[in-house]
Formats: sequence, structure tokens, C-alpha cells
Amino acid sequence: MKSPLAIQLDHVTKRYRVGRSRTLVDLISSKFDGLRGKRDEMHIEERGRIDATIWALRDVCLEVPEGTGLGIIGRNGAGKTTLLKLVSRVTWPTRGAVRVGGHVVSLIELGAGFHPELTGRENVFLGAGLFGLTRRETERRFDEIVHFADVARLIDTPMKRYSSGLYARLGFAVAIFSDPDIVLVDEVLAVGDAPFRRRAVEALGRLIAGGKTVLFISHDLWNIRRLCTDILWMEEGSVRAYGPASEIAERYMDEINLDVLANPDAAFQSSRSGTGEIRYASVELTDSAGRPTRLVPSEETLVVRATYRADRPVTRPVFQIAIVDVDTGVVVTTATSSAADMPGVVAGTGTIECRFAHPPLRPRQYVLRLLITDTRQLTPYDVLIAGPRFAVTRPRSPANTATAVNAGDIESAKDISEEDGLVFLPYEFVHCTAAVKV
Amino acid sequence: MLTDRAERISPAAYFELLMNLTKREVRGRYSQSLFGIGWAIAQPLAAMIVFTIVFSRLGRIPSGGAPYPIFAYVALVPWFFFSSSVNSGTVSLVTYRDIVTKTYFPREIVPLAQVCSRLIDFFVAAALFVLLMTYYRVGLGPWGLLAPAFFVLLILFTVGVTLFTSALNVFYRDVNPVVQIALQLWLYLTPVAYPLSAVPERFRPLFVLNPLSSIVEGFRSSIVFDRAPDWSLAATSGGLVVAVFVAAFVTFKRMDKYFADVI
Repeated sequence: MKSPLAIQLDHVTKRYRVGRSRTLVDLISSKFDGLRGKRDEMHIEERGRIDATIWALRDVCLEVPEGTGLGIIGRNGAGKTTLLKLVSRVTWPTRGAVRVGGHVVSLIELGAGFHPELTGRENVFLGAGLFGLTRRETERRFDEIVHFADVARLIDTPMKRYSSGLYARLGFAVAIFSDPDIVLVDEVLAVGDAPFRRRAVEALGRLIAGGKTVLFISHDLWNIRRLCTDILWMEEGSVRAYGPASEIAERYMDEINLDVLANPDAAFQSSRSGTGEIRYASVELTDSAGRPTRLVPSEETLVVRATYRADRPVTRPVFQIAIVDVDTGVVVTTATSSAADMPGVVAGTGTIECRFAHPPLRPRQYVLRLLITDTRQLTPYDVLIAGPRFAVTRPRSPANTATAVNAGDIESAKDISEEDGLVFLPYEFVHCTAAVKV
Repeated sequence: MLTDRAERISPAAYFELLMNLTKREVRGRYSQSLFGIGWAIAQPLAAMIVFTIVFSRLGRIPSGGAPYPIFAYVALVPWFFFSSSVNSGTVSLVTYRDIVTKTYFPREIVPLAQVCSRLIDFFVAAALFVLLMTYYRVGLGPWGLLAPAFFVLLILFTVGVTLFTSALNVFYRDVNPVVQIALQLWLYLTPVAYPLSAVPERFRPLFVLNPLSSIVEGFRSSIVFDRAPDWSLAATSGGLVVAVFVAAFVTFKRMDKYFADVI
């Protein structure tokens, strides 16, 4: 039997007004112009473009059955957040109908509605109230919330004394335990420390397993594939594709990679998020001699050179470079927080270099993921999920050192064999004789 | 069961959310201030002193036989409840844009919480009024029982105006400065510093259209003078207040779907 629907979008169109906001003068003068028979276009020309609009969603039809973990991917401005806002009733469609079944909880921002002057305890009740819970209902869940967020010690302290990670944890816990049927998550798992992110994803996974519906926007395909059975791929306000997670994720990655090859500069800008105080301007892979390369023999030194640009001075940013295997996740993460000689304040442009000396990577395709975060690694300034892609080939044996590596084409590199596992580790198998008397 | 209507929250959850936002507002306003909630008294008290000097001593404004400070204060407390509510209520949705654009909940709770938080100021200031009554030996008579009726009118009118200005201010930020100026003028067009009886006959209709006239005069006649209110005036403003409240609430609920888009 098909499970009942949790969400249904019926030819939904959402138009936003952009440009400068209207004032009373605009309103009065447009009425006045109307009386004098002037046309609207003249009004727009005279007073600036007030009525410029963008179509955030165009005629979107979508049906999400209960119990679905739905990952939503797409470039910035594709309409992902608008979709969540429509489902949560924060905003309403210009045309069409959004039908929702059950109690919706939106995590568009963790801890929205918390007040820093109030204690953690008071904010739990305030936040749960915003999600529609009564005091008694909140009291019943209070211990679970505190336990999940791990804030028992600070629960009676004003929240302005909390770290931002703690703030996010408590916000997440309140939402998760407020008995939702549908949970909307928008990139919020980009913050917080790794243990929290893991627990958060596990908690969302339990909700899905329990028949709840989770809509999950993320640039992180790895988290999406861990959590979601289906993926919705949005593009320019329309549904590009909707289907099984593994299939859509693969198509999406392929396209991003094609974009990178075809138009490195534009693609570089498209699939990224972050607050933008400082951003990567270019990323380059080279071998130990500084020659650009996309094919790296295993255990040969690999160098990632990245230039950054900060429009304003940024204090102690942390540069992170991770090698990611598209199928199984992060292989290794490096961060400059452990480097002693980083400047305290960076401004303008600069270059960082990360040297992976003799990485024992198995022959596979990898993607670089690059981040710049604040000192505490909570706010991402720049997130580049799909950085340059590269392939690791078989280690050079004395016999094939002479073979020139064909530069560039990583798809047809002959030496790639997709073995299981990511790294070479020296190992030895021993067959211990069974202690059975025959 | 799918629905294209907004989710309903239970009346209990609604009320508690209102109380929590009120608490958040009051705590935010008075935390880390030495005088704390005492500031709720400062405003009407200071105005009472100034009014006593300017209008009573210098201007020789009549106060109908009651001590002028009491005469003014009984009107200043409801006035400041109204004006502070409208003042902070007008900008409240914009101030709370973080939650308005990120979660769904019945939007009117935000301006309502502003009114509720000013209600606490109202009661604190009213407590001082009891002391003043004792000091000037003014007793409460049977007509004092009518005061709660004017209190209800005051709340309905304040909520109505606040809902209206707060919704409008989301779309047109000019509303706030206009409201600021209007409130300043409104104080002098309401019989707060002077009795309605001192207003020349030909200006009376203007005062009848202002529900606050009958509300402050009503508080005055029932509490200070212990006599019947002007029934026809009270009935007119009662009707006006209900009309304003209903119109404002309907307007607000029509507009609130678009708040998050333009805020």
C-alpha cells in the first residue's frame, strides 16, 4: 500500500518583489498617477524599480509521502529555502496550493526566537511554545531536551553566556522533541562541532525511521545520502529531478564536475554557501614540483594551493581542506587551526598551501572540499563542497616510472580500479590453526 | 489529511506563547537596570509632576474639585499604557523579524505581547495610584465598580490600534514616525491634562470621536469623583472601540500572510 502524503505542492508559483521597498509616498503617488491616467511604467522609471520581481518558484508540483527523508539540492537561488518556507507557512504561494498534513517544525535557523537575556530553561519553554507546545507538554520532554543538548550544567544560566555551538544544540533539541510530523532543516548542520552534527543526523534518521517526514537542504551530499531516501534537485525555481537519492546524487555530482571543467570560474561560484567575509578565489592541485596535475600516483606528494580574498580584515580564519570520497565521505580533514605560523588577521588576497606528503590513497576519484570558518569553526565564511576533482592512480613501480602519465583526463585513467577501501595500510594475514582435534 | 490552511495551535499553547513572549519582552527591557520595573512608574509620575506645575499652577486648569496630581495621574496611567503599547507595538513585527521570517506561529502574538508587557507597567503604576489616593484622602465609592469596564475598553482600543499600526509598519516603514508624531499630538487632544468640560462646545464632536476621551474621563469619574460617567459618550466610544478592534484584527489577519516576504 502506498503511504499517505505528508506534503503536496499543486502548481505552486512564488513571486518575490525585489528592489527597494515601497514607501507611503510611492503608494500615494502611484494612486495619484493612476487618477491622472499615467501608466505604471512611467512611475517605475521615475521613482526607481520598485516592482521588479523574481520568480522563486515556477509552477512546482511535488508529492512527498509520509516517512520520507527528502534531501533538497541545487544551486544558490534555486528555490530550496522558499520551498521550505512555503511548507512551514512562513510565506504563502503567489499561485497554487501548498497542502501539508501534520505538525510542522522548521529549523531554518537554530534557536530562532531564543532571547539571550533569558536562561536556557526559560528559552526552552519559549522556543517550544513557538513550535506550538504547552508548558505541560514541554515539561514532559524537558529532561530529554536537556540531555540531548547536553546543557544540564548551564540550564539556569542566561543564554548570552552560551557558546554558539551550545546555542545551536539547544535550538535543535527543542525542535526535535516538540513532536513534529514534518521537520524542515536548512543547512543548519553546517555549524556546531562534529559530535553534535553526528547526533543531529542520527536524531533525524530516527525520526524518519519512526515514520516522520524530514526535508533536508544541504550542500553536503554525503549527509544527504546518509539520511535521505530521495532527493529533490531544484534548478531556477523548478524541479530538475526527483527520485532515489543515489541516482540523483550521482547525476548532480556529474553535472557539477562537468561545469567545473567547462567553465571553472562560474562553477566555482555556483555551488557554494557561507557568509562571504572571506572566500577562496582559486584552487589548484600540483605535484611536489609545483606542476598542475589532476592525476596523482598513490604515495606521491600532493599539494593544494588556494588563494583567498578578504574584502575586509578577518581575524583568525581557519582554512579547512578535506579530501572527500564521493561514495563514502570524508577521507581526511586538515585545518590551519593547528598551524602555528598563521597570521592573526588576514586582509586582501593571499595564498595558503596544504601539502599531503605521500598520502597512501587507493586509486579512486576524489573531490576536494574547502572551507573557511571563524576561529571556533562555527560560522562558515566560505563553503566549497565540490572543489577540484582528482584521481589517484596506482603507485609508480620502478617498472612503470618511465610511462608518462597522461595529463588531464581523469575519467579514462587506466590505472584506476575501484577497490573497496580508501587507503593503503600495511597488513599481514596469518592463518591460525584451528584448535580442533581431528 | 492534507490541508492548505495554516496550522492551528491549541488555545493553551497560544496563551502560553503570549505569556512567554511577554516575559521575554519585560525581562529584556528591565534586565541589568538598577531600578528595574520601577521605571514603569517613572514615566507617569514625571508627567504628573510636570503637568501639575505647568497646567495647574501656571495654567490654572480646573480639576473639578479633586487634587490636580490625582486628577492628572488617573488619566496618565491609561494614557501611557496606550501610547507605550502603540509605540513599541508598531515596530514589534520588524524587531521580531528573526522569528517572523523563520518560524510560523500566529503573528498577532507579537504585537499582543507588547501590549501585555505594558499591562504590567500599567499595574505597577496603578499601585502608586493607590498610595496617592491614600495620601490625598480620596476614597473609592460605588461608581468605582465601573472602572473595569473602561479598562476593558482601553485594552480593546489599544490592541486594535497596535495591531493596525504594526501590520502597516511591516509594509511602510514611514508608519512609525507618523505614529510617533500622532501620539504626541494625541496626548493633548485627549482630556488628560484638563477636564473634558473645559473644552469649548464647538470642539466637542472631535473629542467624542476619540475613544480615549471617554476612557480617561470614565476612569476619572468612576474612581476619583465617584459619579456616573457620561453615558452617551461612553456608549459612542464603546461602539467605536469594538469597530476599530474588529476592523484591525481582520486587516491584520489578511495582511499577515505577506509579512515574511516584505519585512
